Amino acid sequence: MRALPGLLAARAPTPRLLLLLQCLLATARPSSADGSAPEHSSMPVEKNITLERPSNVNLTCQFTTSGDLNAVNVTWKKDSEQLENNYLVSATGSTLYTQYRFTIINSKQMGSYSCFFREEKEQRGTFNFKVPELHGKNKPLISYVGDSTVLTCKCQNCFPLNWTWYSTNGSVKVPVGVQMNKYVINGTYANETKLKITQLLEEDGGSYWCHALFQVGESEEHIELVVLSYLVPLKPFLAIVAEVVLLVAAILLCEKYTQKEKKHSDEGKEFEQTEQLKSDDSNGIENNVPRHRKNESLGQ
Amino acid sequence: MARRTEPPDGGWGWVVVLSAFFQSALVFGVLRSFGVFFVEFVAAFGEQAARVSWIASIGIAVQQFGSPVGSALSTKFGPRPVVMTGGILAALGMLLASFATSLTHLYLSIGLLSGSGWALTFAPTLACLSCYFSRRRSLATGLALTGVGLSSFAFAPFFQWLLSHYAWRGSLLLVSALSLHLVACGALLRPPSLAEDPAVGGPRAQLTSLLHHGPFLRYTVALTLINTGYFIPYLHLVAHLQDLDWDPLPAAFLLSVAAISDLVGRVVSGWLGDAVPGPVTRLLMLWTTLTGVSLALFPVARAPTALVALAVAYGFTSGALAPLAFSVLPELVGTKRIYCGLGLLQMIESIGGLLGPPLSGYLRDVTGNYTASFVVAGAFLLSGSGILLTLPDFFSCFSTTTSRPQDLVTEAPDIKVSLPKEGLEED
Repeated sequence: MRALPGLLAARAPTPRLLLLLQCLLATARPSSADGSAPEHSSMPVEKNITLERPSNVNLTCQFTTSGDLNAVNVTWKKDSEQLENNYLVSATGSTLYTQYRFTIINSKQMGSYSCFFREEKEQRGTFNFKVPELHGKNKPLISYVGDSTVLTCKCQNCFPLNWTWYSTNGSVKVPVGVQMNKYVINGTYANETKLKITQLLEEDGGSYWCHALFQVGESEEHIELVVLSYLVPLKPFLAIVAEVVLLVAAILLCEKYTQKEKKHSDEGKEFEQTEQLKSDDSNGIENNVPRHRKNESLGQ
Repeated sequence: MARRTEPPDGGWGWVVVLSAFFQSALVFGVLRSFGVFFVEFVAAFGEQAARVSWIASIGIAVQQFGSPVGSALSTKFGPRPVVMTGGILAALGMLLASFATSLTHLYLSIGLLSGSGWALTFAPTLACLSCYFSRRRSLATGLALTGVGLSSFAFAPFFQWLLSHYAWRGSLLLVSALSLHLVACGALLRPPSLAEDPAVGGPRAQLTSLLHHGPFLRYTVALTLINTGYFIPYLHLVAHLQDLDWDPLPAAFLLSVAAISDLVGRVVSGWLGDAVPGPVTRLLMLWTTLTGVSLALFPVARAPTALVALAVAYGFTSGALAPLAFSVLPELVGTKRIYCGLGLLQMIESIGGLLGPPLSGYLRDVTGNYTASFVVAGAFLLSGSGILLTLPDFFSCFSTTTSRPQDLVTEAPDIKVSLPKEGLEED
């Protein structure tokens, strides 16, 4: 979100107005000293920070204006409530700096922290602290009745303290691990967990949730399991098999039909040939008769 | 000696071409698109990539190894019953695979059973095609083999869609029903009404003469090496892309892009092989080298555009080398030994097809990604193309006088009949 340049240009004589947001984070244990690489961002007025362990946090907001610095009212808020202490305000040249230090121990300290600079209009910079999100697959996991399947939950670069699995019956979340056929297998690495379900039944289908527990909060992921019965693919299978049988029958019958027609035409040809032979024979018999006589006369 | 009547070169022959088209689609298209199932099997059985790769490689090897058996059975019983039996076997293998509970089950059902079914379909069909065509044989064969390319293009996303709706068990069931169409294709193979063509010299004599033929043996070694690397992308590309965080459906589409360029490569290479003068071996070596290079570059490419370009390059070059591999053989061994030579070649090169994918999977398990697998596959192809350099007539400017038919020379004891002795280049 840009720093409303159009509006500011209309308002101030000098168009140069920058809202800088500087965020210093120390991701160390609460007891140790802070000091880590600062993250600068000059344009956005909102920043998302992923945190999984308790840390010392140091937030800095930097506001440059051409007007009077003393007339700027600086406040910090967490979510909607005003924060009273722990923040410093200092000025250098035409830039106003404000710094808020605090420690994140558990989930109560997570949330949105905002710095406000009020001149005539209020400028705001926001830091959003969130626990790591679990990456989920959008497509459902499909399996069959009697089969076994494994649901996996994985966290990219984070290491939760604990994993829990829930299944939903309607809108109620019921922890998993009680039923006979479901086993929670924690993976070889701490950043993944697996739920193995054997002997699937149709009722085992539905939504499953895996919860990752951190010191500073919780994160969850949704996995959809669909359990099909064997009849589902069987119907198209039988339909295709029937189609193939019909096709083969049609091809073979067609061939027999054309062969029969060929035979008929062949028989017709043979018929003509035999007719010709018969007519030749009749001639032959007439010719044979004199020979026969000759033979007889010779024989005698 | 009975003189063979001229093959029709048309008529019912075109129906046989259609049948061969669908058969090559159903056999090789399914085999090629099996890479989509590969990812599912790895997840479902929790097994390593090497062990899952054996499924496809056993299938390929059995199909190639059993080709001579298929041709022999079809000369005895005619192509129709053999191909129909093959179709039933192939479908049965897939059907049984849908009930699999272990990887061994899949090896036996898809690898062995479906593989032998495929062996019984493809070789007899090609033989039947040769009975129907003589002048336009290469055109007919080329048209029939386009089925491979088109089906790989269509089947990869189709299988992915099936997997997303039915999971792998249901999908195997439906692929089984699809494979049953091989039976219908077999029913179309009407045996042509020709007199028997007596085999010249008997198969055993041909076999021994081939085994002593130096160039043929070198060619076999070259093709075995090529075969080892050839099938790797079709099997492991989808998994490699998912390692790079691609979604399954775009990965399957990349496979089909490779299949389209494979199709184009086949046609272009066939035309080029006829148009360019000189021995075909040189073109084969060119395509093989380019295929090896594109394979070895796969792990280097990270950006989607680079991967798409490499897939197109691999598809084109690997498709280009396929028809040439078949047409170098008559130049080497002569047309009278072609069938024996083809059967023997397929048997030996199946070793490469058997060992290639599991080796690639093993390398992936050991190193954690597919870099080594693709590089080694490219190396195999390059070494195969290197051996092609040693073939005779590679450096000559004209092709050898081979494809003229051999007339039998008869000599009676006292009357000498001298017939023109054409092209006797082998002993």
